[in-house]
Amino acid sequence: MKEDAAKICRRLLDSREVDGVLGLEMVGNIPTPKVFAQADDLGRFEVEPVFPIVTLLRNIWPFTGKERIALVVRGCHELAIKELAKREIVDLKRIHMVGMACSEEQARTCRCLRPYPTKTDIGTKVKGVEDELAKSLRKMTLEERGRFWEEQFKKCNKCYGCSENCPVCVCEDCALEDCAFVRTEGIPPSKAFHIIRAYHVADKCIECGECERSCPVAIPLRSLQRMLADDIKELFGYQAGMDDRQSPVVTTLEDAPLKEESE
Amino acid sequence: MNYRSVLTTCPYCGCGCRFFLQVVDGKLVGVQPCKSDEISQGRLCIKGYNAHAFVQNKDRLTDPLVARDGRFEKAAWGDAVEKIASELKRVREKYGPDSIQVLTSAKCTNEENYLMQKFARAVIGTNNVDHCARLCHASSVVGLASTFGSGAMTNSSLEFEDAKCVFVIGSNTLESHPLIGTRIAKAKEKGAKLIVADPRRTALAELADIHIQQRPGTDIALVNGMIHLILAKGLAKKEFIDSRTENFEAMAASVKDYTPEKVERITGVPKEKLEKAAEMYASAPASSIAYAMGITQHTTGVGNVQSLANLAMVTGNIGKPFAGVNALRGQNNVQGACDMGALPNVFSGYQPVTDPKAVEKFEAAWNVDLLDKPGLTVTDAMNAAHEGKIKAMLVFGENPMISDPDINHVREALEKLEFLAVVDIFMTETARLADVVLPASSYAEKDGTFTATDRRVQLVRKAIEPVGDSKPDWQVVSLLARAFGSKGFEHTSPREVFEEAASLTPQYAGMSYDRLENETLCWPCPDKSSKGTPILHIGKFARGKGLFIPLGHIDPAELPDEKFDLILTTGRVLFQFHTGTMTRRSPKLEREAPEPLVEINTADAASRGIKDGALVKVSSRRGEIKLKALVGDRTAQGVVFIAFHYAEAAANVLTINALDPKAKIPEFKVCAVSVARA
Amino acid sequence: MPEFEPRILAFCCNWCSYAGADLAGVSRLQMPPNIHIIRVMCSGNVKPEYVVKSLVEGVDGVLVLGCHIGDCHYISGNHRTIKRFALLERLMDDLGIDKRRIRVDWVSASEGEKFQKVVSEFVAQVKSLGPNDIRRDAA
Repeated sequence: MKEDAAKICRRLLDSREVDGVLGLEMVGNIPTPKVFAQADDLGRFEVEPVFPIVTLLRNIWPFTGKERIALVVRGCHELAIKELAKREIVDLKRIHMVGMACSEEQARTCRCLRPYPTKTDIGTKVKGVEDELAKSLRKMTLEERGRFWEEQFKKCNKCYGCSENCPVCVCEDCALEDCAFVRTEGIPPSKAFHIIRAYHVADKCIECGECERSCPVAIPLRSLQRMLADDIKELFGYQAGMDDRQSPVVTTLEDAPLKEESE
Repeated sequence: MNYRSVLTTCPYCGCGCRFFLQVVDGKLVGVQPCKSDEISQGRLCIKGYNAHAFVQNKDRLTDPLVARDGRFEKAAWGDAVEKIASELKRVREKYGPDSIQVLTSAKCTNEENYLMQKFARAVIGTNNVDHCARLCHASSVVGLASTFGSGAMTNSSLEFEDAKCVFVIGSNTLESHPLIGTRIAKAKEKGAKLIVADPRRTALAELADIHIQQRPGTDIALVNGMIHLILAKGLAKKEFIDSRTENFEAMAASVKDYTPEKVERITGVPKEKLEKAAEMYASAPASSIAYAMGITQHTTGVGNVQSLANLAMVTGNIGKPFAGVNALRGQNNVQGACDMGALPNVFSGYQPVTDPKAVEKFEAAWNVDLLDKPGLTVTDAMNAAHEGKIKAMLVFGENPMISDPDINHVREALEKLEFLAVVDIFMTETARLADVVLPASSYAEKDGTFTATDRRVQLVRKAIEPVGDSKPDWQVVSLLARAFGSKGFEHTSPREVFEEAASLTPQYAGMSYDRLENETLCWPCPDKSSKGTPILHIGKFARGKGLFIPLGHIDPAELPDEKFDLILTTGRVLFQFHTGTMTRRSPKLEREAPEPLVEINTADAASRGIKDGALVKVSSRRGEIKLKALVGDRTAQGVVFIAFHYAEAAANVLTINALDPKAKIPEFKVCAVSVARA
Repeated sequence: MPEFEPRILAFCCNWCSYAGADLAGVSRLQMPPNIHIIRVMCSGNVKPEYVVKSLVEGVDGVLVLGCHIGDCHYISGNHRTIKRFALLERLMDDLGIDKRRIRVDWVSASEGEKFQKVVSEFVAQVKSLGPNDIRRDAA
């Protein structure tokens, strides 16, 4: 798949349709993030493993000036970019998405219901995979669920990985870093940390799973987000990233869409 | 936009996580975890995520400084280096080479430590070279060398995640070695048994099956008690003992009296708990011991470590996966600094300076005559300076004014020196006392290697240009050597230094930068075909047979009395690191733990009329500090805890300069204090 | 053993529910004493973070009282309130925390009796849930 991806990116660079391609390059045997500026540089282009590429894009976006950037996106990345674009954190006009469908194995690892982007340029679409843990959590009683999450959060050592790697965790004045809400009392941190984090990303979460993958103690955050995504769908008929005219439901005053329809 | 992602090794603790420094247009903008890194697996602790924050801080030393009339004045590199060289030469001329002490840095690279000890030995002509390992794992280096033949962690950090039983003693692992602590937490979730022995109810203790809260300074009694029970219950591994060890009888005799009742009297640990812990550790198919400062920082530090070695050998838990005696080393490169010979009694690779063969080898390699008498340790040197026997010190990246015991004593010692030169990245409390300060470059501004706690050697890569006019320490050493007129310091890159060091250090002999580009190697790596040695002592110990050591309980140097009625034990918190020079300049870290606190038990606080958050005075025979109280039940009754990161209420003003006689490590974990409302 | 008396915070909006509370007091309507009132300008002012903080630090129940829909002094502040707390309650349920420890309701300035009713019902409900033990294993 990486050869197909490299071919497309080469064409994009050669034709100067984009100024750079954000992706991975094999440096020795380590896939290393890179912005490829020349088609000739793509010799060691790599698309695995899945990593927080949209978070990285968001972090370097302020430095990209007028440059147009292409990147290989999986289903979740595409949705993350759309959520960021809604908030004008990135500009869709300067982003070229090369869509890549995930393998069956990847879909299973991520328990992803939509392991492919809207436009799939590379790879073949596979079926979505249910999150069994989320399903079994739903069936538990309130007490059982409470005990489960208490055991999980006891392990937390406040690395902030779930927040650092999340593509849509973007507030300038982060509530998690406000000791009025989350006491700075060592580890494990106050449960307020987890509740506030989940609440804040709830209407933006596109279920990429980076939160869970970057947790050193493997707290199943992905499953929690799955449950919340269902809640939001039920409450507001809204799914993050899927409709770029719907507004985020809990952070604007009116129900008006963020962008004018004519754009 | 010029964007670069540079894979390097974390400058904080000994876990050895690697990550990508994010560089845009020559500035560090953040850290991206590396999913392919074996140790971190794409995860980091909060310090790792903020490892870029202090590098381009405005406080960075950017120019050489020379003290004149109580102020620092900027100087040119040439002049500053010349001043250091001429002063050191003058002192050497007048008092002899052994009147000079060199302190190397456990934060600096292997290449730099190698050159620093070469400088001390080949240029100044003294073996007075040491570093902060003296303050942390000197007990391990001596203790494990005596019992196993090698003073390092016996297994690899990766194994903790699949361990069946882990006994953690004297280590607040989730806070001090986060990415090892988290592996232990995951093992526990997979069904492993976890025993934690710590006077405090730490975050890891909360997850444990058994939490033992022993009185500080009673570890030998505790472990002897466990061994006593293991022998009594027939859980010892006779075959292992017979075929792979010696001196078992003497050790068995020494634990005969350590009945559960006697152990309870000494340690305060209920005998039911002791029994459960002993059975749990001895019955698992493989059990791992993980330990740190709670074991090493005592006047009986060496004995404490040896007791753990006894425990592991009695149960056959050496030389196989998911087992071992695992010394968790604090600094990012303290293991490497030791490996590179920044120690007064050995050259690199632990080759003793008293061994004529070793002396011959290094004399030939360096083309100089070398001294064959061991030099002074850091702790002995401070005492010697206080007595006027050490006249000059050259300090690389160390801050004894906060990290050493009995700070008032340290200040007096340093002020007595005729000359003090400090090389560092920030103006530390120690640098403020110096005659000359040279600005060093940080880990992000140079190439090199660090060796993690599990003997894993990893590359450090330059991501940005040196800040201001700072220079990497390896270049500083070269300049100093050349100012002395010495040869042997003409290396043009860290790669060349590594080649020289590896050629003289058997454990590193098979390593090279080309190999390290594509693999991490755990020493020993004796030749190019070796893939490194994650697990030590398989089949046989480094010294042949493991040596049992008979041990008995000895009281700490200073116990509570009527005037100073509480035990002070010192340690760390997750968000700060050591003397705070880096973390306190990282906003997100400082924010999490901005102020010094004394943790005091609810009952002890109540009887002293102390409310949570109140300002209190903590005093010892050495001094007094004022800070806020954190009242709760994390710390056992009779014990108070202070983290040593805060210069404004430095815990080491209170600690006692009592040393383990063999390892010379200070007893940071026990001294007597009183606490009262301020 | 002393009966459990819950500690309850009530965020009341300045224009409607706080005035309603005032009216209840002036009319000497009997009410349980467990409520601590915090006046805010609008129920839409009440960030879920305040409620989370209260519960996490051991408060037994939280009331958020605003103007009736359509009557908000700031037009749509209470729209925000409904949406936010609907989501927060779902999240709490997902995490195994009893969402009955939170209640959102509307009380106008003239509804002293409604204030009394809401408060009495809520105190009784929280009493039946027992003490909030969320901090039981905090240091």
